Amino acid sequence: MKSLTKINKCQLLILVTALAWISSRSAFGQPIRVVATFPDLADITRQIGKNLVSVESLATGVEDPHGVPMKPSFVPRLNRANLLIVTGLDDEHSWLPALLEVASNPKILAGQPGYIDCSVGVPVLEAPTRIDRAEGDLHPKGNPHYLLDPLYGKIAAQNIATGLTRNFPQYEADFDKNLKAYLAELDSWIGRWEKVAAPLRGVKYVEYHPEWVYFANRFRLQRVGSIEIKPGIEPTPNHLVQLVQQIKQENAQVLIYGSQNPRIPQQLQGETGIKVLRLYTSAGARSETDTYIKWIDYTVHSLVQAVS
Amino acid sequence: MALPRLWTPILMASAFGTFAILSPALCLAQNSEIEQLRSVVEGLQQQLQKTLQRIDQLEKEKTATSEKINQMEEEKTTTASRIGQVEKSVQAVQSAPSALNPAIGMVLDANVSQRSKAGGNFDFRSAEIGLAASVDPFARMYGFINGTSDGVEVDEAAAVTTSLPWNLTAKGGRFLADFGRFPKVHEHELPFVNQPLSIERMVGGETQADGAEVNYLFPTPFFLRATVGGYNKIGEENDQVDNNKSRSWSRFTYLGRLNTYFDLSDNHSIELGTSMAYTPSIRLAGNADGGDRILNGIDLTYRFQPLASTVYQGLTIGSEFFHNSQVFASDSSAKRQQAYGGYSYAELKLNKNWSTGFQVDYAPIVDTPAQRTMSYSPFITWNLSEFNRLRLQYSYLNNNFRGADKEENGNQVFLQWTTLIGAHTHGFLGR
Repeated sequence: MKSLTKINKCQLLILVTALAWISSRSAFGQPIRVVATFPDLADITRQIGKNLVSVESLATGVEDPHGVPMKPSFVPRLNRANLLIVTGLDDEHSWLPALLEVASNPKILAGQPGYIDCSVGVPVLEAPTRIDRAEGDLHPKGNPHYLLDPLYGKIAAQNIATGLTRNFPQYEADFDKNLKAYLAELDSWIGRWEKVAAPLRGVKYVEYHPEWVYFANRFRLQRVGSIEIKPGIEPTPNHLVQLVQQIKQENAQVLIYGSQNPRIPQQLQGETGIKVLRLYTSAGARSETDTYIKWIDYTVHSLVQAVS
Repeated sequence: MALPRLWTPILMASAFGTFAILSPALCLAQNSEIEQLRSVVEGLQQQLQKTLQRIDQLEKEKTATSEKINQMEEEKTTTASRIGQVEKSVQAVQSAPSALNPAIGMVLDANVSQRSKAGGNFDFRSAEIGLAASVDPFARMYGFINGTSDGVEVDEAAAVTTSLPWNLTAKGGRFLADFGRFPKVHEHELPFVNQPLSIERMVGGETQADGAEVNYLFPTPFFLRATVGGYNKIGEENDQVDNNKSRSWSRFTYLGRLNTYFDLSDNHSIELGTSMAYTPSIRLAGNADGGDRILNGIDLTYRFQPLASTVYQGLTIGSEFFHNSQVFASDSSAKRQQAYGGYSYAELKLNKNWSTGFQVDYAPIVDTPAQRTMSYSPFITWNLSEFNRLRLQYSYLNNNFRGADKEENGNQVFLQWTTLIGAHTHGFLGR
């Protein structure tokens, strides 16, 4: 009985020590803990925060942006985060708000200083004039895939720097210096991409889901149609017959899909000979697209290669 | 005057000599002039080349500038159209009656059934109106008002804190108590048509409860969450306790739950929960002294969610086991009965719109646990969209006792149509 009590005391001591260690862990964390919803935002944050931040992304980049699984393992990460960086425009609406409800971290709730919405100031495209689900799975605030336009990547970078400075003004000079360097780097890449993407001007494309409007606007591609009838609504056989005719009539050169099922794109390729490209709408989906710049570069070169 | 004949050769010789002496100098002078001329020509050539280059450059710049102007003009047009779009969108948003209204949604769950023992029925199962909004910077509130063929009731209406310190969240009002996995999920959100009979009999239907709950999220690197709560009773159809009467502390129901989750890999995960609802004293008809009631639950869920195709593929296998320990009055004496039950199911996602699965349920009657109902239910679901779902289910219910409810016996076929308008979310717990 005596030894049992002794064991119990030892166990209690170990338990209390473990809990105390766990509770105090956050106090020792040196860098600013940032959680980004997608890998491209995580990369931009790393470029601006450098060694002052430790950044992790919730999604890996291969997921359908609207179908990221609501994993409970995201909850502790959100709980410990000093800052949360989101694409915004309701891109994360299907999975993030419910996770934030249980993350017990008021600092990173929408509207709080720790919640950094990268879409602020982006000239939004395809904002619906009629908000009705008969129009499909709409984004009431507009198309959220603006990071496909590298100029808007610059806006996201500025928003991230502003957010970092808002929360940690003591590092303002560092963030500012890193932002300027990153923007200069992005500018030089944008210059290169504009030259490389010259053959894309006027190229007609078909997309699976309305994701490519920002990219098309920047590099002057022309959208012919989409596989989905309306955003998020899978095609009917009739719609596919019409799309095949449209591809042939308008001489569409390339069909772009990302996280969607390749079955229908391959079927259309068989029927029309259109080139089919799998290009993801986030960085991180492939090893060679692990940064924002590499992702845009890969996207531009892949498309140029496909049409040339 | 003629030169003397002698001088002629001399003069000629001298002239020749002079020429011979001077001719190299003359040659040198001519060469340097040519060199000078050559260098001048070369200079002119270089200047000409530079000028030509400059002209080329200027021409290129001119072309680039005109391209830039064109581009800027196009951008101007695009920007104008964007501004137009944004303005229209803003107008659309502003035309809503009030931006401060809560998010409103409605779910209709209509069902048609054919039971071999009971016959057919168009079953208007529920029309649920959901409302949710922030109360202030410290709390949010949500409510579900449910209309069924039996009438209209407030299914849930609860306030939840949003900014408590120390990883705490508190909830108060009427809500689905955090017991088990599916007992706290609204019926239309389940992957099959009906709530498993084991939940209905052992928990008392959905875990609707009037009371208060506190959640604690452990600061661990993995997900670990605890819930404690106190309620009048747990279970919408639990008629062992009167919800409306005041009572002593021993007659409330107290709950504890631990919930954890692990990623086995990027695509595979496992979730585990254990719950206990304890009522120190229950007063049943014919057994005035009562006694305590312990309801235990264990839930286990395995998920395969391939990240690259979560929308198209997936497998979920879930099981829940319940144990109810309670004193029931029999003919002459009161006796503590131990009842064990539960269900298991698997659901396979076939593509974006279709999924299929199978459920097995073992449901004892808690006061006579030897009597039980087994059911086997294959089902197939067609999600026309995220907000429109059709489900066909066949169930075979087998009772090991006579006199079972006709609704809970034999072969049954269900066709369920669930549709949703407006905003709708049951949050993290209903995932």
